[in-house]
Amino acid sequence: MAAAVPFEQWTAEEKYGHFMRRIENGEKIEADDWMPDDYRKALIRLITMHGISEIMGAFPEKEWVPKAPTLRRKLAIMAKVQDEMGHGQLLLRVAEDLVKPCGKTREDILQDLFAKRLKFHNVFHMPSPTWADAAVIAWLVDGAAILSQTMMLKTSYGPYGRALKRICQEESFHAKHGESLTLSLAEGTPAQRRMLQEAIDRWWEPLLMFFGPKTKEATGHTNVDKNLKYKLRTKTNEELRQEFLSKYVPKIRLLGLAIPDPTLRYDDEKGEWIYREPDWNKFKQIVTGNGPKTDERLRLRRTSYENGRWVREALAQWKAAAV
Amino acid sequence: MTDSVHRFYEEYEVFSRKKGDLPLEHRFSLLAPNMEMAMILAKENFFRREPVADLWIVKRSDIRKMTQSEREAFGRLEKPYRETRGYGDLNERWRAFKARAGESGDAGP
Repeated sequence: MAAAVPFEQWTAEEKYGHFMRRIENGEKIEADDWMPDDYRKALIRLITMHGISEIMGAFPEKEWVPKAPTLRRKLAIMAKVQDEMGHGQLLLRVAEDLVKPCGKTREDILQDLFAKRLKFHNVFHMPSPTWADAAVIAWLVDGAAILSQTMMLKTSYGPYGRALKRICQEESFHAKHGESLTLSLAEGTPAQRRMLQEAIDRWWEPLLMFFGPKTKEATGHTNVDKNLKYKLRTKTNEELRQEFLSKYVPKIRLLGLAIPDPTLRYDDEKGEWIYREPDWNKFKQIVTGNGPKTDERLRLRRTSYENGRWVREALAQWKAAAV
Repeated sequence: MTDSVHRFYEEYEVFSRKKGDLPLEHRFSLLAPNMEMAMILAKENFFRREPVADLWIVKRSDIRKMTQSEREAFGRLEKPYRETRGYGDLNERWRAFKARAGESGDAGP
């Protein structure tokens, strides 16, 4: 056997070819492996967005912690809020290792969030005015998130896949919690059922938007294609949305609730759901930082970051003294 | 913000053992300003539900990892003589002895 050339001495093309073969063989790429720039960029975009969404996703629900109707519900929703922040910690850690070679840290990610340079999921820009919103968020928003996260469990990037595995385990508790809240309201008084119906009416369009636009003509870019090529994901936005509809439309109807889309039906011939397209211009507005609750929640996030500064500074002093 | 914040966090790797008779497994990494905070955050981040018998925290900068070059060169060599599967012919050879013993009629039970 000829003496192998050490990896560092390979040409860029050889490294790229080797990288793509690893991807095609289903191998996992690790943080300090060689990777093409656009793979790193795609990962950073995907994972910071996911991580920040977990953190911003705790906000609409945390509003209900002090107002939960029973102690058990309060404990459960507190646990869920804590889990979401924990998921944010895991994912930011994965993102931090990816931005490190660019000289960036967690601080830069947070500053990008505050300056609206970083997007988070449309649903977390929306208000949650009633307890039924907490129910619908936990049942359907988490239900939607589970579908897209499960799809990425086999992602080619090892650290992201390992984080998702842990996250999906906890999300399944969240969905059960949401199901339990929803069923209690659906079994309840006419006023409770009305409250639940109104929450479904509010959340339907944001839920359809959650998976993103159908075609790249509508999005104007090809992130999905790139993510498929690099095996970061295995399904398109529309495939996930169809899965969501198949899973939840029958359940919502079984509870005797209406879906606010008279055109919604399953087309047997095409084998897919026909639905009214959400307003994608509104979607763009929301995710670029102009949703109904965007500013209020970002302000709260920034304030708690600022309020925690003295703790970080005190710990830094203690550390400096200990050295 | 600044250097002090950039120097504030350090990377720690978290390992845990689910039960006493199981090996230590890598859980994840986290950022913390010191070992004690790392331990607290590890408990909060990774063990809100699952049972844990033991927990180790290691500063990442203390770990000597392989480079990609080393990993690529560390491919498995064939070493059948080190493994039981390198000795798959034994049964057949025993059978031959048994067959021979059967013919001459002096085989044991």
